[in-house]
Amino acid sequence: MVNVFNVQIFFIVFRESLEAVVVVSVLLAFLKQGLGAATQDPVVYKKLVRQVWLGSILGVVVCLIIGCAFIGAFYSLGNDIWSKSEDLWEGIFCIIATVLISLMGLAMLRINKMKEKWRIKLARALTKVPDKKKDRFKIGYLAKKYCMFILPFITCLREGLEAVVFVGGVGLNSPATAFPIPVITGLIAGIVVGTLLYFSGSTVSLQIFLIISTGILYLIAAGLFSRGVWYFEQHVYSNKSGGDAAEQGSGPGSYDISKSVWHVNCCNPEIDNGWDVFNALLGWQNSATYGSVISYNIYWLFIIVTISLMLYEEKTGHLPFLKNLTLAQLNPMYHVKGKKKNELTKEEQNALFEKVRQTNIGQDDEEESSLVRENFASASSEKPEKGSL
Amino acid sequence: MRFTSFLLVSFISSLVAAETHTWWFETGWVDANPDGNFERKVIGFNNSWPLPTLRAKKGDVINLYLINGFNNSNTTLHFHGLFQEGSAQMDGPPMVTQCPIPPGETFLYNFTITQVGTFWYHSHTSGQYGDGMRGLFIIEDDDFPYEYDEEVTLSLSEHYHKTSDELLPSFLNRYNPTGAEPIPQNALFNESRNVSWVVEPNKTYLLRIANIGRFVSQYLYMEDHEFTVVEVDGVYVEKNTTSMLYITVSQRYSVLITTKNDTSKNYAFMNMIDKTMLDVTPPDLILNSTNYIVYDENNEKPGEYFVDSIHDYLDDFYLVPLNKERLLDDADHVVTIDVAMDNLGDGINYAFFNNITYTAPKVPTLMTVLSAGEFATNELVYGTNTHPIILQKDEVVDIVLNNLDTGTHPFHLHGHVFQLIERHEAIPDGESPVQFNETDHAEWPEYPMSRDVVFVRPQSYIVMRFKANNPGVWFFHCHIEWHLDQGLALMFIEDPAGIQNNETQQLTADSINACQKLGMPIEGNAAANSKNFLDLTGEPVQHKPLPSGFTARGIVALVFSCIAAFLGLFAIAIYGMADIKDVEERVARDLNVDIDDDDDLEPEGEQSSSFEHSK
Repeated sequence: MVNVFNVQIFFIVFRESLEAVVVVSVLLAFLKQGLGAATQDPVVYKKLVRQVWLGSILGVVVCLIIGCAFIGAFYSLGNDIWSKSEDLWEGIFCIIATVLISLMGLAMLRINKMKEKWRIKLARALTKVPDKKKDRFKIGYLAKKYCMFILPFITCLREGLEAVVFVGGVGLNSPATAFPIPVITGLIAGIVVGTLLYFSGSTVSLQIFLIISTGILYLIAAGLFSRGVWYFEQHVYSNKSGGDAAEQGSGPGSYDISKSVWHVNCCNPEIDNGWDVFNALLGWQNSATYGSVISYNIYWLFIIVTISLMLYEEKTGHLPFLKNLTLAQLNPMYHVKGKKKNELTKEEQNALFEKVRQTNIGQDDEEESSLVRENFASASSEKPEKGSL
Repeated sequence: MRFTSFLLVSFISSLVAAETHTWWFETGWVDANPDGNFERKVIGFNNSWPLPTLRAKKGDVINLYLINGFNNSNTTLHFHGLFQEGSAQMDGPPMVTQCPIPPGETFLYNFTITQVGTFWYHSHTSGQYGDGMRGLFIIEDDDFPYEYDEEVTLSLSEHYHKTSDELLPSFLNRYNPTGAEPIPQNALFNESRNVSWVVEPNKTYLLRIANIGRFVSQYLYMEDHEFTVVEVDGVYVEKNTTSMLYITVSQRYSVLITTKNDTSKNYAFMNMIDKTMLDVTPPDLILNSTNYIVYDENNEKPGEYFVDSIHDYLDDFYLVPLNKERLLDDADHVVTIDVAMDNLGDGINYAFFNNITYTAPKVPTLMTVLSAGEFATNELVYGTNTHPIILQKDEVVDIVLNNLDTGTHPFHLHGHVFQLIERHEAIPDGESPVQFNETDHAEWPEYPMSRDVVFVRPQSYIVMRFKANNPGVWFFHCHIEWHLDQGLALMFIEDPAGIQNNETQQLTADSINACQKLGMPIEGNAAANSKNFLDLTGEPVQHKPLPSGFTARGIVALVFSCIAAFLGLFAIAIYGMADIKDVEERVARDLNVDIDDDDDLEPEGEQSSSFEHSK
């Protein structure tokens, strides 16, 4: 059985593809639900969907290249550069991924509350090329325009890299015949789960689907944050103990007792089959450290606090106890870009409102209120000309 | 009548012949550069290093006054291989036979020599003999059984550039979870390197060789010359000629070397470190060291000498003692011990005999024997973590030692030589260790080899046999000092009543003084309890084992994390369900995007253009 099907390889490929596929299918379902239902602007929809696919495929391609480079270096030069800094790389990737997912998750929830046509407008605005040439290369602009590309790209790159190098290393003990089947079946299994997620998302109510998928994303992100911290601690321990601590298996010597919160000699995501899936989805470690446990809890605390603040501000217009402060003002970029000066004061807002209402007498209510909103939006935009009367 | 006068005369003459040696040695740090590459501090006697080679004869009385000249280290001295009959408190190991000697104090080591051969002396306080506090102790024999022309001594050792104070903390450390011993820098030959031994042709030299190192075994081989082994560890053996010797630390071999007839060439004398004992072999470590047998100083120095195989060394199991002592009778007492290395709850790698790692008691065990009265025959009073084994007077003892570790270990028994009656072959790393099987083992030799240090092969076993005819407290331990620091030791308490009843075994003033100056009691059990010897509360014990599985702390952490996740998901759900006013402009503002520039969507387009017009 082992000669044609290496169970460990199957689980590695399944777990890696699972994480990537979850992120990609949630994004696709979100786009389909959010922009595709009303076919008002198929161009924008297709553009963004293409970004997602491009990001995923490019991520896989790049990771194959880099992974082959690592493996090639290992076999030819005997230089195991990967394993020396493996924990560091893993940790960095995890932190990057968790930051990206965290930012995207809440944004997605919010965006989908907007009315349909506004979402489309938003999407179009995001994908529009600015008039001034220099604006095209602003980081903020690029990040927003290609956000649908960046997240799948980074995710697929990271997952794929882990899978390629792991399989390349693991495969040392297996004959070549044991490779193809587990790799293919692992990929298929992962893709099946992702497809299920996508189609279930298309049938269930959008709001419910979004809540569930955002919940899943945040579970993964919390796990990633915890794992990132865990990898950094493991890297420090490996360096101090002068070797690859993971080589000790699960027994004594594979972990730093002074930092351990719990340790069981089984269920090790690094070497025990199946537990790595648990680790990928929820951040399970058989050898938890203070760092990994505390970071996990702090992450959730941060999310809960952020959501509470957002809810509060949306209900009352400002942050608790600080009447003049909003969440946007907490963003340092807010002050850097001088957005503050574009905000109208309360009086100016009221004056504007009045002016607009007078100008548009005769329109129906819906359009009037959307006009008001539009002018309000434009009043706080970067084009001061429109704001001034 | 003639017989009695003969006895009287020989008695008197032996008295007259027996000398008393009185030596005064003060310990202290000295600058030295033993390998010629690196100046470092070593421990010297009376401000000089290397330490002197002591010489005496059988029957001599030794008075060695050891003065602790250190500023803040205790010290002890052990005369390796000497039986210390009736003088157990002169044996040396701290907390076994004495309290360590505090700085500034003097301790008189006083005993009578009852043996002949090649011995050595060294500090038994951790790290000190590795830092240089070691020297040879030759007990000459007027009736040496073999002919030779001249006697020469040779000491071997590995060499570290760092001192033990620097090496030990990083060795016994949770960041060294595999217990990897520190790697030496090179090897020393008579405390130096590239040494020239000037010889005359056609002479038979008696070379007394001792490995006075603390870690690695060494191979010795000469170019075109052979060793004829005549003595091991103070035991004369039938001549056995070999081209290569394998010497573990603390072992001694006396060999006869007959030089050649012509002086046209000089020859190499190699000593090589056994690299299988090293955790890693760094590329800059010089394993083979070249020394020179110089027939004529005008000849050129020989280059390094290579051999085809290092497996042809003399296996000391096959030596036959000259006195043809037969295999002792079947054992009255069999001690079976398993050697293993493992980590305890502090993450540090310790060494174990049957799951006990030696943890020193609060009172030296010999003093417990002397003060315990009727309880001295109860093993409990000596501690549950000191691994005491009580032996009856004159019983025959078998030590069956199963080495579950993948390393070679040299084991040393104080106070005795023992017969090596079986040594099994090495078992490779991937396979399971082989343990002694009473019903299925090799045949034991009729005239087994006797010595006081014997090595066991990786994952294999040895069987040793001796007679408990020397009352005392005798340490049994691996002579690799790193492993002794890890606790690979136990104690034989031989004939406790015999110790108590012997006048010469009672504590000397210096023994009492050393303890008192350190504030340590001279009576009591392992927990220093002299009122109730069976109450061991407070005795030093080894660290708890590593927790396997979830502790209370772990369960709390796991539950808390799960709760945090549930709360987080709940918050997301609430947010997802909530209605937000003005969500559009909020999003647009937060993403810093214009979402009103569109001219394509009809209603808004009209408004903006009309708005522009009104500007």
